[in-house]
Amino acid sequence: MTRHEVEKYRKPIRILHWIHSGAFILLFLTGLVLFIPGLGFLAEDSWTRVIHRVGAAVFVIIPVIYLVINPRAVGRGLKQAFTWGSDDMGWLKAAPRYYFLGDESSMPPQGAMNTGQKMWWFFTIVFGIIFVITGAIMWFAKLAAPAALLQWMVFIHDVSFIVTGAMFLLHLYLGVFHPLMTEAWNAMAGGKISTEYAKAHHTKWYDEVTKSKEEKG
Amino acid sequence: MADKAILYDATKCTACRGCQVACKQWNENDEYIPTTENGVKAKNRGSYENPPDLSPQTWLKMRFTEFEASGKVRWLFTRQACMHCTDAACVTVCPNGSLYHHELGFVAYNKDTCTGCGYCVDACPFSVPRSTRNILTGIAKMDKCTFCTTQGLDRIAESWEPACVKTCPPKALKFGDRTDLVAQGRQRVQALKDMGWTKANLYGENELGGLHVMYVLDDSPAVYGLPVSPQVSAATIAWKDVIQPVGWAVGGLTILGLGMNYLVARANAKKEGK
Repeated sequence: MTRHEVEKYRKPIRILHWIHSGAFILLFLTGLVLFIPGLGFLAEDSWTRVIHRVGAAVFVIIPVIYLVINPRAVGRGLKQAFTWGSDDMGWLKAAPRYYFLGDESSMPPQGAMNTGQKMWWFFTIVFGIIFVITGAIMWFAKLAAPAALLQWMVFIHDVSFIVTGAMFLLHLYLGVFHPLMTEAWNAMAGGKISTEYAKAHHTKWYDEVTKSKEEKG
Repeated sequence: MADKAILYDATKCTACRGCQVACKQWNENDEYIPTTENGVKAKNRGSYENPPDLSPQTWLKMRFTEFEASGKVRWLFTRQACMHCTDAACVTVCPNGSLYHHELGFVAYNKDTCTGCGYCVDACPFSVPRSTRNILTGIAKMDKCTFCTTQGLDRIAESWEPACVKTCPPKALKFGDRTDLVAQGRQRVQALKDMGWTKANLYGENELGGLHVMYVLDDSPAVYGLPVSPQVSAATIAWKDVIQPVGWAVGGLTILGLGMNYLVARANAKKEGK
């Protein structure tokens, strides 16, 4: 049987995704060493801080590049991520049965992003901005800012770390390990997913894509 | 072992700054000296106070305060150095235990393992710890008074007095068991009160769980530029007692939840497959 495929993510997006992931993982690990006392010895002599800053620079630059090379895609993504409807509420209700028991019957049709992916976008954007602001203050104003402000910056940075860290584990799990998410990895690795998967998981998006192709054809 | 402490009597201090010199000399804290030969013009800051502030190479300095009360100017001297708190905010926030309580009660640290995060610098209620810091790379190391337990230069292990105490000509600095020094301090405060210094007090007896450097003062701590009621900051407590445990709980529950999901979902997928 030939496998019919449809392109989910184009190459530039995939490259940006993986560089951004790499930066996040570096930031996550080099931040973790100051959070877990048992790992603190790894941070001796500040070298994890140097890596953390290189990671931070990449983490900031990648979304900017995305915005510059494809502002329309960014706009589309933002619009999708922040537009919530009844299908999203339905998704949240049906998701536990699906992700645990594989019961797909009550999952509402989804666009290019499903509700979970929208949440991930939301968290990434909101907490990404918080990370950058608090981090920049700790980086550049360490000698100038009042001590109390710097202490609260650490606090907020760490709250963001806990929230996004947990969401990141979930994202990683769904993308790589979940028994039913067979195509998520393909989507971001090679860019293509099977038509059946696209039809089943991103119905609204699949209909749009095929319709526009037919119109063009 | 009984806690050791330093008792500083501001009413006996002459601000000769012998303690500053002894501290630098013993702990090998040479500092760049701004001289005309070095291309630096000496600067008159209108005070004998020098250097102007603590630094990674200056762990102890005397603060000079001019204070006017009822038409009379008083020239006050205060010691500025680590107070070696029992409830030490720096020890609380240090991410890897580089700062710790010495078995004799005061706050020591291991410079080799310091990560340079600077949390202690921002947490200290007395603004004592100082750090070298490259603002771009973030490479940093903290330093402060070690109570003369600097690695390789440990006077306390030899049962010697700290260098500042040893050198003090008017015996304004004393070293000994903390309980003895509290008693001596109280006695001195009473004597001052009898002489008419009604506001005389022993600073550090109960502050922050008891400081290991206590001051005999003849006036309010505020007059001497000391915090009247030093506290561990709310941010320190929030970070240590809220964020850290919450972080552990969220991280642990997430991993546990995902693991359970994996087992359930895989079992179901297998069943469907059959």
